[in-house]
Amino acid sequence: MRLSENQVRALAARVVAMTPADEAEVLVTSNDAALTRFAGNRIHQNVAEENTTVSVRAVLGKRTGVAGTNRLDDDALRTCCEAAVAAARVAPADDGFPGLPAPAPFERAERGCESTRAFDADARARAAAAIIEQSAFRGLSAAGTVGRSDYAVAVANSKGVDAAMGVTALKATVLSSGTDGGSGWASWLGRDANDFAPEALGDEAASIAERSADPGSLDAGTYAVVLAPEAVSDLLDFLGYLAFGARAVDEKSSFIAGHIGEKLLSECITLTENALGAETVGLTFDFEGSPKHAVPLIEAGVVRGPVTDSYWAAKLGLSNTGHALPAPNSYGPLPMNLELAAGDTRVDEMIAGVTRGLYVTRFHYVNVEDPLRVVLTGMTRDGTFMIEDGRLTKPVKNVRFTQSVVDALADVEAVGDRRALIGPEEGGANLAPALLIAKWAVTGQTR
Amino acid sequence: MKHLVSVALDAAALAGASYADARVVLTTEERISVRTGRVEAVERSESLGIGVRVIADGAWGFASTSSLTDDTIAACARQAVAIARASSLTAAAPIRLAPVGVFDDVWRGPCEIDPFSVPLEDKLALLVAADEGLRTQDVVTVTSASLSFVKVEKVFGSSEGSIIEQSYVESSAGIVAYALGDGEMLPRSYPNSHGGQAVQGGWEAILALDIVGNAPRVAAEAAALASALPCPATTTTVIIDGSQIALQVHESVGHPTELDRVLGDEAAFAGTSFVRLEDLDTLRYGSEHVSVVSDATVQGSLGSFGYDDEGVPAQRDYIVRDGLFTGFQSSRESAPRIGRASNGCARADGWNRIPLVRMATLSLEPGAWSFEDLIADTDDGIYLETNSSWSIDDRRLNFQFACEIGWEIKDGKLGRMIKNPNYTGITPKFWGACDAVCSQDHWRVWGIPNCGKGEPMQVAHVAHGAAPARFRDVQVGVGR
Repeated sequence: MRLSENQVRALAARVVAMTPADEAEVLVTSNDAALTRFAGNRIHQNVAEENTTVSVRAVLGKRTGVAGTNRLDDDALRTCCEAAVAAARVAPADDGFPGLPAPAPFERAERGCESTRAFDADARARAAAAIIEQSAFRGLSAAGTVGRSDYAVAVANSKGVDAAMGVTALKATVLSSGTDGGSGWASWLGRDANDFAPEALGDEAASIAERSADPGSLDAGTYAVVLAPEAVSDLLDFLGYLAFGARAVDEKSSFIAGHIGEKLLSECITLTENALGAETVGLTFDFEGSPKHAVPLIEAGVVRGPVTDSYWAAKLGLSNTGHALPAPNSYGPLPMNLELAAGDTRVDEMIAGVTRGLYVTRFHYVNVEDPLRVVLTGMTRDGTFMIEDGRLTKPVKNVRFTQSVVDALADVEAVGDRRALIGPEEGGANLAPALLIAKWAVTGQTR
Repeated sequence: MKHLVSVALDAAALAGASYADARVVLTTEERISVRTGRVEAVERSESLGIGVRVIADGAWGFASTSSLTDDTIAACARQAVAIARASSLTAAAPIRLAPVGVFDDVWRGPCEIDPFSVPLEDKLALLVAADEGLRTQDVVTVTSASLSFVKVEKVFGSSEGSIIEQSYVESSAGIVAYALGDGEMLPRSYPNSHGGQAVQGGWEAILALDIVGNAPRVAAEAAALASALPCPATTTTVIIDGSQIALQVHESVGHPTELDRVLGDEAAFAGTSFVRLEDLDTLRYGSEHVSVVSDATVQGSLGSFGYDDEGVPAQRDYIVRDGLFTGFQSSRESAPRIGRASNGCARADGWNRIPLVRMATLSLEPGAWSFEDLIADTDDGIYLETNSSWSIDDRRLNFQFACEIGWEIKDGKLGRMIKNPNYTGITPKFWGACDAVCSQDHWRVWGIPNCGKGEPMQVAHVAHGAAPARFRDVQVGVGR
């Protein structure tokens, strides 16, 4: 059982008062998480965790230090506060430090569901069994997870910030595999366990696995590609991380640096950072307790942004959009809830418009080769199909791509009319539609 | 800590567990970083808790808590048993564990100067000096210098009677200079990328790296990269430095030979493996120059311990010998499925995670070449240093790595600098094309503190010994 919202809020306020510094900020996170994992049509790992962490940022003039603990007795908390102050005492002054943020009202969205909190080991086992059954009766093998998280977060500081909320999320994934090289994937993420339909999820993955049996070869080259939402979400993750944080813009490692207001991408693309959306998960304030604002990042192909926190907003003369990570933050502010605006094209219509191309269910092990142009390399997995003359014709073995996402988003020809929520059980998530991209560089294939 | 373990084991037995183990772990960390003249982080944190793993009704359950009263620990153990009973809804055959001896032992890693006792002022002074040394070239616009220290103290106990106390300290340091080239950001790191070099050891290990002395050279190389040649798109001979070979071993030998992956336990997340059970002692993994050994006893390595997190003693075991695939990395659960004993590779990322099959110190054994002779013996090719990007497919066959820097090799000599080189290949074909490995003089153990695996995600600290090695007919300049 985690601490309640009131308990984490009271704990944060108490530790602020215990910290002998000019200013103090305390982040408390209390977590009750459980995850059931299955493979080979059986549950093989089944885990649960309860933890509460306290992180203290102490400020002495322009100097800051951070210390954290998960011991909640008074002695341990006092030691933690003193360690943060000791670190601040020796840290060189940062003349750009604007002080801790002042309180500001944040949107109090309801992000917790009792049905998810009550989704216990028996419920997860039944859900796993329902998913597995969809593969087992087809002679396939299912692997995946059913995971539940329930956490409460509070941020308080000596200037009066006092923010707290509880969040739940349920996530399930399934990989269905055959002995003939076929595999399929499906995932579901939401706040409310009552919305979760395990049989349908299991059926979706198993159906893809059946269709992807006996995959063939594909030559390297440039292809039109239809990316399913799971694959698009991977691209959004890297785009947000590499390009739309204020630090990347300041350091000129982002493609938008010096180009904000310019149309660099397809006019089909409108991307917003929006933690306040009705469909998403996560917090509506950041880890400094500042309200998260919706931030346009791309509007009809024109680049906007970036997202900021209190430090980078002050440094760059921008408003604080509320995207601080926990202190000390070595990444700068980052978007956590990206929404790519839906279009009006069904996936079957996208496929019908392709003479020769690929359909990609999801990517695997994507990494960065050039941050400035967001050049990524990675593999496809669990359902890669050839598109010929407007039809899915045959499965192909997983292919490697080496592709600039900036170039790809300039070549988007259609955006899907339906979006999926994709992300981890904790933190933010992306709302992503399918995309039709005119040119995608396939640079290799597995055996 | 031993009392807490015994409370957990007693409660698990009373609740009906046929097997139980418990680990109490205290992890203390310190992280300090300076970026482009600004102190970015000065942080110390600790995490203490207990994890209880049980078998009940033939299936696994695990629960963990940071609340360490006798009552909450007993409740945690009962929760683990309840979870195991839920697992049994879909269980096939009951879990069987490979036998292991009963140990009552203490193991400590090497550490001459406790880094947590070194004044913060000294650490900051070191980083500020290194960062200043990096900011000596106009084209270098972003710099980074970081230190990280971890102290782990843990007690493992099992219902079979083992009680094992272990502790160790890890220290790491690294610097990076980023040069802003024509439309690209070019990193140059020392002693390695992704946080630098990490070892088991104390402050003495940090001083030995001399990050301040190396900073001006690193900055100069970054600046030179800004005007270096692009990597040609071709198929050629490559000589790869030890740090990149370490990551190549990690991704294309280490992960594919983890027995849990081969058995499908990681299929949905990290993937499976091209290696099959029947490949043992038959698969030609590489050329005769390729021998890879798993060794958890290497002194000062990030992948060393006295016992793994199932209480199995540290071991040395060949995975590939003279090119032939000879062994998996295994755990007590996976090893019986191939009729073997565990070779002690099950480790957990803290008190709140279960042990998984993880690499220890998995090393490419040295050959006989001097680096100078190897370059002199190569007519045409590229020499590559320091990883910047890595990717490999879900069966660990098709890989692509990028490096920070390269040099042409022409007529047995290093020539012009190359920026952003990358290479790709298929695992057994690539290792089969290895025709030379440098000698012990060039061999070094590289720490990798960021190996992700499992759900919930676990980050393992592993290591790989490696020396520069040569490979023929490698595709480079992919997508360039």
